[in-house]
Amino acid sequence: MSARLLALIPVAVAISLALSAAVDAVALPLFLDTTGTILATALAGPVVGIAVGALTSAVNTLRNPTFWPFVVVQVIVALYAGFAARAALFRSLKTAVPAGLGLGVIASLTSTPISYFVFGCTTTGGIALTTALGKALGLPPLGACFFGSFVSDFGDKAVTFALVASVLHALPRRTAARFPLALRAIGAA
Amino acid sequence: MRALHPFTLLAVAAALPALAWILPAPAGGLATAGIAFCLLGSRGLRRGLWPALVAAAPFRLFLLLLHDVRTTLAIGLRISTMVASFVWLAAVLAPDRLVEATVARGWSITAAYLFAATLSAVPMLRARARRIVEAQRCRGLSPRGSVANRLRALRALALPLVLSALHEVDERTLALEARGLVPGARRTPLAPPPDRVVERVVRWGLLLLCLAALVRRVA
Repeated sequence: MSARLLALIPVAVAISLALSAAVDAVALPLFLDTTGTILATALAGPVVGIAVGALTSAVNTLRNPTFWPFVVVQVIVALYAGFAARAALFRSLKTAVPAGLGLGVIASLTSTPISYFVFGCTTTGGIALTTALGKALGLPPLGACFFGSFVSDFGDKAVTFALVASVLHALPRRTAARFPLALRAIGAA
Repeated sequence: MRALHPFTLLAVAAALPALAWILPAPAGGLATAGIAFCLLGSRGLRRGLWPALVAAAPFRLFLLLLHDVRTTLAIGLRISTMVASFVWLAAVLAPDRLVEATVARGWSITAAYLFAATLSAVPMLRARARRIVEAQRCRGLSPRGSVANRLRALRALALPLVLSALHEVDERTLALEARGLVPGARRTPLAPPPDRVVERVVRWGLLLLCLAALVRRVA
């Protein structure tokens, strides 16, 4: 791995964790905790993205230990973002947002079994409440758990994809060209 | 406890939650949670008890909302073990000692760099994010109102943060290259933490204990 990609990884992890300040300021029900993973993958490919995702989970675990089992979701996110970057789905918001919605479905399908079997669907307050709502609507326990994860992941991943697409387009071409996948991700190569 | 080898601390913090999930509930969870809270309550670490209790409390509340008392107790004890173990680990594990231990063990300098650089980059970027939020508010950015308005505000807050962070990658790359940090390079640790035989035995013992418990549970 080159020194540039090595330097990118801690910065991308820090981006994922620092964005919570921006989310808090606008008071939207978003996490944006996969932004660094998706951005690093779009810039440098899924291997770097997986490293960022694993490291994000590890650092998050020091703050809240329930994050560690969800490292699998970060890996899936990196693989999906790698596919999206190779297919140039970050070329505009019109392609990035649907791709993000697709990731929302996949991420909630991945996180549901972990959340259900490891934590009884109580990973965060918001997810627990939406799971309780799903239960009140008559869904079976696993279905209610998926409902909770889906409600939180669906919009979050779409906004994250849109944000990453905005960042990639705002990057000067000379800077983007220093990363192996950046120009292809926005359909400029 | 801080004098223990970092790998021993990691092994204990990993083994307790693993055993909490493997051993039959609620007795297994009760035993592991008891050990984890005893470690947290040991001399010099009592300040960690409250954060662990506070962090685990919402889980019990939400579990009760979704499950019966028996399931709440079983999962609640497992989560309490996990939270207490990691709060204890965060209190006793010094990142620089862990880096030295990995380098002394012959691990790649890349892994050591990634861990140390991430831990230092996160608070720096969080502070910058707060400054950007304040600066944009001073310029009249309103992060309230409709969802569309909030999303526009989010873009105005997030883009400067992410772009400035990406520009920093250039500086870090130059610094890494100037220091000769290339894949395959080996570094000599200045003060490697001592790894006593008894600690190595404890680590292997914990691994065997987890495997034995798993085999017994599955059989």
